[in-house]
Amino acid sequence: MSEQSLVMKALTDVTLKRRSFLKWSAALSGTAALSGGLSRKLGPAPSEFARAAASEGEWITAACWHNCGGQRCLLKAQVVDGVVKKVKTDDTHPDSIELPQIRGCARGRAQAQHVFGADRLKYPMKRKNWAPGGGKKELRGRDEWERISWDEALDLIADELKRIIDTYGNEGILEVGSTLGGVFTLLGGAVRPWGTTSWGTWYYTGDIVGLGDGLTNTTHNDRIELQKSNLIVIWGGNPAWSAQGNNMKYFLDAKRAGAKFIFIDPFYNDSAMILADEWFPVRPATDHALALGMAYTLITEDDPVNNPLIDWDFLNRCCIGFDADHMPEGADPKDNFKDYVLGTYDGQPKTPEWAAEICGLTPKQIRYLARTIGSTPKVSLLTAWAPARVNDADSWPHMFMTLGAMTGHIGKSGSCTGVSCWERSADGGPFLIGAGGAGNPRVQNENAIRTQINNGELWNAVLTGQYTAGYNDVRNVNIQAIIHDGSSGLNQKVGMTKGIEAHRKVEFVLSINLFLNTNSKYSDIVLPATTQWERYGYLKGNRDHLIWARQITEPLFEAKDDSWIAAELAKRLGLDADLVAGLPLQQQIFNQLAGAWVLKDNGVDRENLLTITAEDIAEMGVEGEPQEGRITLQEFKEQGIYVVPRKDGDNFGYIALKDFRDDPEANPRKTESGLMEIYCPAQQKMIHDFGFTEVDPIPTYNRPREGYEDTFEDWENKVKGEYPFQLFTIHYRRRSHSIFDNVPWLREAFPQEFIMNPLDAEALGLKHGDIAKISSRHGTVIRPVFITERIRPGVVTLGEGAWAEIDEETGIDRAGATNTLNGAYTTGQGHQGWNSCNVKIERYGGPDALEQDYLWEQRIPIKEA
Amino acid sequence: MATQKAFYFDASACNGCKACMIACKSKNALPVGVNFRRVLQYGGGAWVPDPEYPDFLQPSGLFAYSLSVACMHCQNAPCVNICPAKAIEKRDDGIVLVDEDKCIGCHYCEWACPYGAPQFDADKGTMIKCDFCVDLIDQGEAPYCVASCPMRALDFGELDELRAKYGTVSAVAPLPPADLTDPAFVMTPHRDAQPVGQGTGRIYDDEV
Ligand code: SF4
Repeated sequence: MSEQSLVMKALTDVTLKRRSFLKWSAALSGTAALSGGLSRKLGPAPSEFARAAASEGEWITAACWHNCGGQRCLLKAQVVDGVVKKVKTDDTHPDSIELPQIRGCARGRAQAQHVFGADRLKYPMKRKNWAPGGGKKELRGRDEWERISWDEALDLIADELKRIIDTYGNEGILEVGSTLGGVFTLLGGAVRPWGTTSWGTWYYTGDIVGLGDGLTNTTHNDRIELQKSNLIVIWGGNPAWSAQGNNMKYFLDAKRAGAKFIFIDPFYNDSAMILADEWFPVRPATDHALALGMAYTLITEDDPVNNPLIDWDFLNRCCIGFDADHMPEGADPKDNFKDYVLGTYDGQPKTPEWAAEICGLTPKQIRYLARTIGSTPKVSLLTAWAPARVNDADSWPHMFMTLGAMTGHIGKSGSCTGVSCWERSADGGPFLIGAGGAGNPRVQNENAIRTQINNGELWNAVLTGQYTAGYNDVRNVNIQAIIHDGSSGLNQKVGMTKGIEAHRKVEFVLSINLFLNTNSKYSDIVLPATTQWERYGYLKGNRDHLIWARQITEPLFEAKDDSWIAAELAKRLGLDADLVAGLPLQQQIFNQLAGAWVLKDNGVDRENLLTITAEDIAEMGVEGEPQEGRITLQEFKEQGIYVVPRKDGDNFGYIALKDFRDDPEANPRKTESGLMEIYCPAQQKMIHDFGFTEVDPIPTYNRPREGYEDTFEDWENKVKGEYPFQLFTIHYRRRSHSIFDNVPWLREAFPQEFIMNPLDAEALGLKHGDIAKISSRHGTVIRPVFITERIRPGVVTLGEGAWAEIDEETGIDRAGATNTLNGAYTTGQGHQGWNSCNVKIERYGGPDALEQDYLWEQRIPIKEA
Repeated sequence: MATQKAFYFDASACNGCKACMIACKSKNALPVGVNFRRVLQYGGGAWVPDPEYPDFLQPSGLFAYSLSVACMHCQNAPCVNICPAKAIEKRDDGIVLVDEDKCIGCHYCEWACPYGAPQFDADKGTMIKCDFCVDLIDQGEAPYCVASCPMRALDFGELDELRAKYGTVSAVAPLPPADLTDPAFVMTPHRDAQPVGQGTGRIYDDEV
């Protein structure tokens, strides 16, 4: 096809086929959701919402409340006669680098379609073939649903919880989410999952070795400092997909201020598309080997006078364990990092050639990276958490810190080493503004059990009755109830195929959710919860802004707030319902507003954000005292947002670890020595004590399970194995993890495609759009192939978070949920190794071609006539 | 003097996030399958053995960029010219509008437009398309897509003013040549942009 007709096709090929969707599409844009077939009368209460409905229409600040990794953006919904007409973003002030508008992403803009989705759960339901004790348990996930009343549902749940605790004790209950946390605490506790998710191995290792986890302790400079870097390295990160909103703009500001960008990633991702000056297509799960090859180059090529690549001053003053002269007392001097890299004692120098075989970059590229990072004055050496979401990657953050310490890009203007990701992407440092506490009393129970099972063996523990509680400490457990109170635990934890088996084994499964998502689908009773748009309010912000979102609509259908559900259950279980419910939401919001603070211009002292009058308090119907602050409550309500203006030289700048670099004795890290520990016995002990795997005190390379090497049957002789491809799983634009996956506009805009290189596709006889069958050692999915040169050959990727659609006959997941493919491994600090997964790929020979998933029937459990 | 409203797009800033597309859908309550604004991605290149290390494959000439495209409100608009019902008109400010009362839904405009801007609304039985958010700009506000862009890659204004500010480029591959319709469009090309009609890549996401 000629280019022009291709464009025409691309631009016009979408119009005619999708008529059946028009009807409900109109419905969910708001109109019919509130006035048509799905209608529900507004209650008589003179709520804010009803007042708005009666007026000409109003722009109300609307929550965007998901774990999206984004900026925490401003949305406003136009509500006219009780109907949400459209959604806009920040236009409260003119936009500038100093005072940016906090603009939302496609997901935020589609929020109305999420809240008013035709597939929202409308009322409590129970599975037809469920009975106390489980009924036909094997029918979970394929049974029919029956509508029940709230009273019936809550009574059934309370009875079942009592029965299970009486029979099996509190360890009989696994609470996967948290909205019933207070109930279970008072009830004597429940088993809970533990283990990091997003962080990978940064969660514990980052802090323990002396750097930081990247969220609680940010290790990157703020966005203004970022603009002073000569070079910004983004190693295993794609903020354009995983941290949306303004974050990518902050990187672009840095680029336009003159920073050069290097991307190290298997995928020439959309962030690289606009930022990258150079791209280094490393294989997934091999970053540690690459870093060692770079360390070797730095060590062997450094010449303090003629070719300074290593910051010896920083290493000698601020670190311990780099070489034999700087080892902690009691440690064998031979165990230092430098000699490990040089292979002095293990006979294996970690040369660029050694690293190249594993990581896929050439030795020349590895040397180039080391020389460039080592010799450039101001470098922001940034990674996201993705390279740490690899099996056995516990030493990777340790390695990354060591590379930063060697090159000295720590604690200086324009220089930093660490994690830039999630909502803190591109802007590190402590918050400049924040909300007060909600003021809820803590629900406590000293006698509650505290059993925790790692995510990596959670489902296995349900199936086998055993779990690891620590080193050499395997215990028995008999779980008979799985409680999904919020969260998306089944879809979003490794080893979903086992998870489904586990769900079919226990006696009771409860899900509280907005939709019949994967959790709900495999449950016995589902309860419909409200969204933040149906509640009195919600406060959320980021480093430099705070948002007050308000109620957009009355609760839809029979949906109830989580706190109401918890209190009603507490009542039935003879517990303190008021304590469980917490304060009335109005009062909680007021407390957060009254306690909201903002830093004064001196960058040290706080002042109240809000002036609150007695009339404000009366209007909100809460208890409180008038106060003085920077802006009035009415102003904040009207604007919905307060943004702290920034400029270079203000007192809000942040250079991570500057105090430490300047004076490590006065500002020690939280390590045993107070220094950055390149030799870190505490890290070794921590990993050992978890009881899964072992690491050395220095960051040595651990071959990951299902990494590159495992794609070979015989690594030495390079004979490929049964699963020859490396799959890594990406945060995908369509979703915030699994949230939004059901939203048709987003499904259409961001198809769930299987991304692979044309060389691989050609070898397998696959064309763009063909259906591929992708199998790992743990499960199989089918998805249309998206062919692009932008991914490295041998590596494939799929967005995480699609709602599994598992065919009961074949076990094949046609939605392409990545946890169908990711196996459950217990590893290191109990993280989940989503970016280490080996797969094989075939053409799918099944009967029906996959149609685009935005054409799939929505999950509406009970169809009304 | 006749004026001409126009869009500006900065391909060096666009990361393909589609916030503009969804903002537009929200503003116009568009169903799945109808998109007044679309973001497409164009790219290409190859993987070849590294000259020094032939066992290693390296990307060669690899490139990708995103384009956000809506109705171009062309100065020489083929849709206006072809419409048998005279249902498509250019306002005094150059904005091209479909008069739904006159439209007979014949699709001619859809076929005539090289940008695929007019689309069929099955419920109404008429063609619909980007109206430059006339309701907003008549009140002095920005079109929804422009105000939505997290990368600040979109702008709007008078065509001659945009040209004075941003230059005169109005097409790169794979867009149609600008002399076809004289689009009211100014863009900053991506660093890897390929010339119109001579692109070596392909449209990656041909779905939307
Ligand atoms: S980045 Fe997050 S907070 Fe911002 S609009 Fe998107 S989903 Fe909402």
